[in-house]
Amino acid sequence: MSVNTSVHVSLEEAKLLVEYLESGQQEKADELIAEIQSPINSELFAEIGKLTRQLHDSLNNFQLDSRLNDLATADIPDAKERLNYVITRTEEAANKTMDAVESIFPVVETIQKQIKAVNPLWQKLMHNKLDLPEFKSLCIDIDILLKTTDKESVRMHDLMTDVLMAQDFQDLTGQVIRKVIDLVREVEDSLIGMLTAFGISSEGSSEPSKPKVGDNLVEGPIVNAAQRDDVVVDQDDVDDLLSSLGF
Amino acid sequence: MFSPEGALDKNMKVLVVDDFSTMRRIVKNLLRDLGFTNISEADDGSTALPMLKEGSFDFVVTDWNMPGMQGIDLLKAIRADANLSHIPVLLITAEAKKEQIVMAAQAGVNGYIVKPFTAATLNAKLDKIFERLG
Repeated sequence: MSVNTSVHVSLEEAKLLVEYLESGQQEKADELIAEIQSPINSELFAEIGKLTRQLHDSLNNFQLDSRLNDLATADIPDAKERLNYVITRTEEAANKTMDAVESIFPVVETIQKQIKAVNPLWQKLMHNKLDLPEFKSLCIDIDILLKTTDKESVRMHDLMTDVLMAQDFQDLTGQVIRKVIDLVREVEDSLIGMLTAFGISSEGSSEPSKPKVGDNLVEGPIVNAAQRDDVVVDQDDVDDLLSSLGF
Repeated sequence: MFSPEGALDKNMKVLVVDDFSTMRRIVKNLLRDLGFTNISEADDGSTALPMLKEGSFDFVVTDWNMPGMQGIDLLKAIRADANLSHIPVLLITAEAKKEQIVMAAQAGVNGYIVKPFTAATLNAKLDKIFERLG
């Protein structure tokens, strides 16, 4: 083993060496000898030490940034609640609307049935083939038809108004979603800030990463179909694709 | 499933599968409008499969994206079960990637409808499915 004669061992180092050896820490003793002999190693250790301190300080700074803490503990849970609210409101609106629509269907059917019932005798009248008893019967039926239609028209009008009012969810959910978009923007900025602080450039990637997909490529409704070539835009596209493959 | 005249028997037992109750309601309403009266519901592929194994269903209408068992996996399970493989399956879904459509066709789906869809589309696809089987 060659000896580096330009290296000077210090008293502290020698004492430390004895300490290691006396306590049986052979590895540490060997490391210390290696350090003493090769100053380059100690420069490396110094660099690592410096980086570790920098990392420690950066991490401390983040802990001191209460905005991040707020985001994590208050705003994100709040955003989740808000989005759940959107789901609830839209579900309510959909059900309200469908309730009104389902009430209207039988009303319309009733009117159609009554018109069909009246029609044969009416046609006879139009062709001057009605006898008097039939005429009386027709008058009664038409009277009922008029009264029913009048009453049911009012009901339909009210139900239509219910449908109109049920759309009020859009305004409320729109406002809530806007707030969540603001929050997401803030988290995005914080994340970019964090990447920058660690010296990682966020402009490194040349193309924006594709949206995350789950099992079986699930992605949910496509919101940017115009910018993509891997999706279909309507039912005709689907049918064309399937028939072109022989399905 | 088919009445003696060869026309579609609208008494057939249909299972509608979707994790959103509003969508199940819409599909159920549309099917009722078309004359189907015997309609059951499930809120996930994982709840639908036991119902199918138990219940002599004639037709399945299902969503794709569901948290427990996806529609595509339900379809595969149906096709893999000797007692169920004959059941026609219609996918109604917002999943619109070409790869997914091909995946579904290769897994043996009988029809694929993308959301948003119209009542007319549903009607046309149903006709097509049952015409093909007749």
